[in-house]
Amino acid sequence: MSIFESKKLGEMAVGTKIVVYGVLGIWTFIVLFPLYWVLITSFKVPIAVSGGPFYLPFVDFLPSLHAWSYIFFDLGNDTFRPYFNSAVVAVFSTLLVMIAGSLAAYALSRFTFRPRLLTILIFILAVALVIVLVAALGVNWLIAVTVGLALAVIGAGMFRRTPSPTLGNPDILFWMISQRIFPPVVAAIPIYVMFQQVRLLDTHVALILTYTAVNLPIVVWLMYDFFVSIPKDLEESAELDGASRIRIFFEIILPLSKPGLVATSLLVLIFSWNEYLLALFLSTANAQTMPLLVAAQNATRGPQWWYMSVLIIIMIVPVILLALVLQRFIAKGLLVGAVKG
Amino acid sequence: MTVRLEKVVKFFGSVRVLHELDLDVKEGEFLVLLGASGSGKTTALRMIAGLETVSSGIITIGGRDVTNVLPKNRDVAMVFQSYALYPHKTVAENIGYPLKIRRLPKPEMEARIKDVADQVQLTPYLARYPRQLSGGQRQRVALARAMVRRPKVFLMDEPLSNLDAKLRGHMRAELGHMQHDLGITTIYVTHDQIEAMTLAHRVALLEGGKLQQLDTPANIYNDPANLFVAQFIGSPSMNVVRGTLDGNLFMTGGTKIMVPVMGKVAEAVLGVRPEDCAVTAPEEADVNGNIYAIELIGDHTLVTVKTESDMLTVKAAKDFSAKVGNAVGVRLSKDNLYLFEAEHGVRVR
Repeated sequence: MSIFESKKLGEMAVGTKIVVYGVLGIWTFIVLFPLYWVLITSFKVPIAVSGGPFYLPFVDFLPSLHAWSYIFFDLGNDTFRPYFNSAVVAVFSTLLVMIAGSLAAYALSRFTFRPRLLTILIFILAVALVIVLVAALGVNWLIAVTVGLALAVIGAGMFRRTPSPTLGNPDILFWMISQRIFPPVVAAIPIYVMFQQVRLLDTHVALILTYTAVNLPIVVWLMYDFFVSIPKDLEESAELDGASRIRIFFEIILPLSKPGLVATSLLVLIFSWNEYLLALFLSTANAQTMPLLVAAQNATRGPQWWYMSVLIIIMIVPVILLALVLQRFIAKGLLVGAVKG
Repeated sequence: MTVRLEKVVKFFGSVRVLHELDLDVKEGEFLVLLGASGSGKTTALRMIAGLETVSSGIITIGGRDVTNVLPKNRDVAMVFQSYALYPHKTVAENIGYPLKIRRLPKPEMEARIKDVADQVQLTPYLARYPRQLSGGQRQRVALARAMVRRPKVFLMDEPLSNLDAKLRGHMRAELGHMQHDLGITTIYVTHDQIEAMTLAHRVALLEGGKLQQLDTPANIYNDPANLFVAQFIGSPSMNVVRGTLDGNLFMTGGTKIMVPVMGKVAEAVLGVRPEDCAVTAPEEADVNGNIYAIELIGDHTLVTVKTESDMLTVKAAKDFSAKVGNAVGVRLSKDNLYLFEAEHGVRVR
């Protein structure tokens, strides 16, 4: 037996057992206490919150349903609309980002791309030209973008044979993840201006597109790792069996990637569901999401802890349920039996 | 179907892994591509399958130029070394996948799956998943999947190398029998000379991306084209003695041996197989030395004799009795001597 192999609980000495359970107990308490606190706060009247810490319902304070009735009946639609908005935005942006991201990750894991530095440079110059045309010369942005794109394509074609250093797949992957390096608040104002220009502020579309873009690097990065772990032999075998590329992707690769797809989807779904900063810029009333509603409880009258707690609970519940349902897909060992004896 | 490779070259980057390979596989033939790792045998097979592009040259299957045809349109089936079973599909679905892609009607599909499953004794396991099968069973699923669509050509990439020794012997016999029954042209890659000798109608021996010899197993063994082939085939491998050839006399150390060829080579190599040597008393021998090792194999004994310059392995009777260190001689069978030029291994005939 290796010294690094952990012993089963039953094999431990009594003293060790007490220490292990003690540590686990303390950690469990640390993790669960905030949730408990939110739960009881949602049943407290304001005086029970401000009057000092009260821990036990019926003993320390008398629980009340006033906050719940305020959120569900007094606010009513003002609660349900953001709830619905959050669901729509989270679900659709997750769908979109998973489709785009996993296709990109698959391509990166199976094909070698050699983007030319010169072509990239020409593209950047074209973008700069568009900015100058629109910002300094007041040209209509649609015309400017069309001209810029055309020039980029023509330019890339003209210098197609000029020798230039090329980049590879690792560079593309790094470029993708580098999009997450700078803080989102840097991009928030340009994104706001952009959606203002195309008149999509305060719509689901604006939030869905933004979250898709923001989550894309994460999906590509995670799914790339997953696709790389699927043996190439399986695809080659399917190819010889007569399957087309797209068929191989849907019938062989996707079913085998289920655990990765589910885990990644859950991750980006939670990101979108909880996102606050970009939603603050992009939505005002119609497309307002739940995190904004929670924050709004800290408005004119000071923090309304009891209302916030109710909202937080109804935000957490669907995520927990979803995680429980999807858990069985995140099983390992799906590739057992594929290759070797 | 016939398969032809004409001057096929393959580069990986700037490394040339195949040098103008010419192969001509006849209808219904079992051709084995034999070679050590890095000899280019697997690359050649993958090019026939269409999984690797051809740097230059032409590949035809059944007379049709398939050099630039996608794998799925070549109608070849391949058994991978790793089996490459679809882990999320049952045995039946694995076997039936090529038929599903070809949109066969369901009753016919099921009949054909059952048919091949019977042939490879997998019928009781059709509803199982690959992870629930043993190595040998997985191997047979891979085989059944290749057989089910009756392809023009079978390609096999070391299909037996992941099996344990006993099962490998059994499956080898099964494979040979199956190919004989189906009569489908088969190209089989292996590094195992026993598989090559027992299964092949003809063996193509590759080394360093070059075809060394393409011939029947018997001719490869009895009439090797060069020193490499002579030493690669046969176990234990052929003995070599270094010396000079002058006329029909081969000289090594102080001894002269009459050989059945004529020539004048300053640096020559005499080759003789262990079974064409005999241990004798020193005075009757062609070469003298001392016994270095004695290994009883079962039905014979391998005796290694250390001479002045070389080691000779002799296949002796199983009741061979002598002691290590004894001074003995080795007599060579005059009709079974091979001579090569030392520098390039070219056979002197």
